[in-house]
Amino acid sequence: MSAVDRVTAPFERFAQAHASRMATVVIVAVLAFLWLPIAVLVFMSFADGGVLSFPPDQLTLRWYRVFLSNDAALDAIVTTLTISIPATGISVALSTMIAYAVDRYVFPGRSWLQLLATLPIIVPLVVTGIAMVLFFNGTLGLPDYVSVVIAHVIRTIPFATLVILPTFMSFDRRLEEASKDLGADEFETFRQVTLPNVFPGIVAGGLLAFTLSFNEFVYTYFVKGSGDPTLPVYIWNQIRYNVTPEVNVISVVFLAVAVSMVLAAVSLTRVDLIARR
Amino acid sequence: MAESPRSDDERVSPSGDGETVAGTDREVATDGGTASGVDGRVSDLTTFLRERPRLRTLSIAGPPYGILLFFFAIPLLAMLVVSFQADRIGGAWTLRNYTGFLTSETYLTVVWRTFLISVQVTAIVAGVGYGLAYSIVRFSRRTTLLLLLVILPFWTSYIIRMYAWINILQSDGVLDSTLNLAGLPALSLLYTDTAVLIGFTYVWLPLAVLPFYASLTNLDGDLIEASKDLGAGPIRTFLSVTLPMTINGVITGIVLVFIPTFGSFITPRLLGGTNNIMIGMVIENQFKSAFNWPFGAAIGIVISVVVVVLLVLATRLGGGLFGAGGETS
Repeated sequence: MSAVDRVTAPFERFAQAHASRMATVVIVAVLAFLWLPIAVLVFMSFADGGVLSFPPDQLTLRWYRVFLSNDAALDAIVTTLTISIPATGISVALSTMIAYAVDRYVFPGRSWLQLLATLPIIVPLVVTGIAMVLFFNGTLGLPDYVSVVIAHVIRTIPFATLVILPTFMSFDRRLEEASKDLGADEFETFRQVTLPNVFPGIVAGGLLAFTLSFNEFVYTYFVKGSGDPTLPVYIWNQIRYNVTPEVNVISVVFLAVAVSMVLAAVSLTRVDLIARR
Repeated sequence: MAESPRSDDERVSPSGDGETVAGTDREVATDGGTASGVDGRVSDLTTFLRERPRLRTLSIAGPPYGILLFFFAIPLLAMLVVSFQADRIGGAWTLRNYTGFLTSETYLTVVWRTFLISVQVTAIVAGVGYGLAYSIVRFSRRTTLLLLLVILPFWTSYIIRMYAWINILQSDGVLDSTLNLAGLPALSLLYTDTAVLIGFTYVWLPLAVLPFYASLTNLDGDLIEASKDLGAGPIRTFLSVTLPMTINGVITGIVLVFIPTFGSFITPRLLGGTNNIMIGMVIENQFKSAFNWPFGAAIGIVISVVVVVLLVLATRLGGGLFGAGGETS
């Protein structure tokens, strides 16, 4: 036994004996760190006293009623949806084309396409955000609405592709061969064989794209002028200039949208698909 | 398969007759009816494209390629061009935006601060995230559920997650009130560096756990067994087998945390104090209040350079960042 081994031996024995327990502690502690703030947020949306007082004197649904009668907040939701729904549709169509092309064909620039479809995740949002406002508004002079929808499409493509591409790759292509052998052409085969098989993945990609677009802030903040704010921009203004307990309620709305969308997406695919890189 | 000429009927039902076949025939007839319509034209198109593979590839890869180039890559190039113009888009050519930035002690201090915070955040997130991923992969059976619980917060609004911490950290907020009830002094952490670190750790932790998790799952468990059979304890096995074998995932996680932290403005704006300026906030100012777009563009280029250098380093060291969903290793 070397000198180093003699020094480390007690630590090795300790790790051996307590590894499993330490793992449990780490898991519980980190999950608490991740979920307690969310729990606080939900709880505070029922607090009577307002934002500052914790613990609250009593619980109430008052702020939900305030929220439901607040036209500005509801308008912001509608504004968000008029952007997110078309952006999601376009993004899913484009991501499916990327997945199909990358999976099926070898063509010059194939790896560039993959790089382009990944880069928006990596380039800091603020950098792309200002680049977009310079080009869309400054150079092209696009209307605000068009600029924001395009920005949301760019933002969501990488994530949708990340989910849709693996479903294409894991699809058994012999089914397509069989379909073509039986006389179907490429379009029929895609519609009747490929699409039903990859459809869950595409829907999952769409749900995640929608969630992302619904929450999108940075691109929207830069690209969109002073017009009707989306919900994230609205809440940003609220937090920065006049916090009301209503913000807690809007937070719960965001949470509900995100959790239900992601759970639906996960039930359609596998969790590790989202985790896969 | 025999390559003999066959009629349509034979193709659909090569054998037998009777009612089922009649039914099938009717279906074929209906299909044939639409085929002369929209589907027919689409079929003609696909036949046309099948005979021209290049055109076919172009028709599928072209639109997303074009959109990503025109609305993502070109704007970044436009930013580079604008960064050399004075005061406004289309202004006189100048290097002033860069010289002004790189000779200003204030801005360089801000860059240095941003760098230090990003390093701290990355170290914390990598440590905690790897510990969590390792615990889940090696010691838990309910990996899917746990992974889901880790990912879910990532999909809620970034601003909402920051707001949650405002609730907790502000003076007389949840944290201080809880400490108060326990008879401990208040911390009033909001608007401090600590608050910024907590906020960043909170938002990036799920993001970093994913590549860590992926690389740990791909690790061959036999290697660990072999190491233990050869007499290495768990710590030595970790340091000489597990960590080196998952280093690609670690590098990917580090890059995924460092880059967005370096460019962030939301977290320091909401959780940091007035002297906790980060470089992303300077850009935001140029676009939202100072309205010197070219100067903001120049700072954007400076950030991009940092990002590119980091990516090149990471690729050299072996992080698998590109190729969405493609090769994992």
